[in-house]
Amino acid sequence: MVIRIAAVGDVHLDEDVVGRFRPALEELSDCADVLLLAGDLTRHGTEAEARCVAQEFGGLDVPVITVLGNHDHQCNQVPQVVKVLEDVGITVLEGNGVVLECTGGRLGVAGVKGFGGGFAGRCASDFGEPEMKAFVHTTTESADRLAEALLSLDCDLLVALTHYAPVPDTLAGEPLEIYPFLGAYQLGQAIDSAPTALAVHGHAHRGSSRGTTPGGVRVRNVAHPVIKQAYSVFHLGDHLDQGEVSRLSASGT
Amino acid sequence: MTQHRGTSTGPPDEYLEAEIQRALAEDPSIAEQGITVVRRETGLVLYGEVESSHRREEILRRVADRFPTLPVTSEIGVVRTEAPTQIEQLP
Repeated sequence: MVIRIAAVGDVHLDEDVVGRFRPALEELSDCADVLLLAGDLTRHGTEAEARCVAQEFGGLDVPVITVLGNHDHQCNQVPQVVKVLEDVGITVLEGNGVVLECTGGRLGVAGVKGFGGGFAGRCASDFGEPEMKAFVHTTTESADRLAEALLSLDCDLLVALTHYAPVPDTLAGEPLEIYPFLGAYQLGQAIDSAPTALAVHGHAHRGSSRGTTPGGVRVRNVAHPVIKQAYSVFHLGDHLDQGEVSRLSASGT
Repeated sequence: MTQHRGTSTGPPDEYLEAEIQRALAEDPSIAEQGITVVRRETGLVLYGEVESSHRREEILRRVADRFPTLPVTSEIGVVRTEAPTQIEQLP
């Protein structure tokens, strides 16, 4: 069983970017069963920018699943953005999941945008001013929705899709001082609460690509400035017995 | 946001960097959170990656408009969008 997943985040589409990704996207079905978009599809979250995303990532010959990012919330047009994306067949997740029938098996993808808050030992607490409590509640509620969505899916391979980072590993390269704005340990905890095989996120443009949750789930930061290509491709399956260490292959087979 | 005072000495470096960093994120024509601003003796150096050459030019234009006396060096790249040549296999 092999399930092939392509992923990219933080593409920040507007008119000036339309067409840049399309040539690579036309080759997608040769190497992937699905494309995951890890949020920040737009610059400001306007309906017009969402139409650019729909033009670039709509009508592909593989299913496209996305979460939104913080940029996609900037202009308070989330319902309009979601509608434009869904109108071209893009699945937008927020606290829910979807199961796809792939050649290699049933792929379950659960997604939330997530939020900041920081990581174990260096995180915000649900204490003090209402604003601080609201900040932490936003994080914990998002993580709870992710856990619930992950546990609800009946599938052969489970993937978590977020915009914010679930672990600090994939933030390496970012200033330490801004880690609490880039992700939260509660997202990792949610991922570890389910039999998740892979977690994919974006948001950290200066971060690094690989990490692992405390429970051993592989995490990949697919922010476009990190991967420096149209998308990354991951092949997951139990046909491989090379142990626990991931490796790069020179071919797409 | 407190505005740059425009005096001959200007604000302390940390405030200047903070103002530029926030302007890059909050200016609707830029909206970039991934640009690093470094103050050197020779002026400002901007590092980061953006999605188009138009955005890179816009960043430099807005920074020059706002801080006309500061020499600015750009190390901002445009992220490539080629298809991957490798896949990662995960057990």
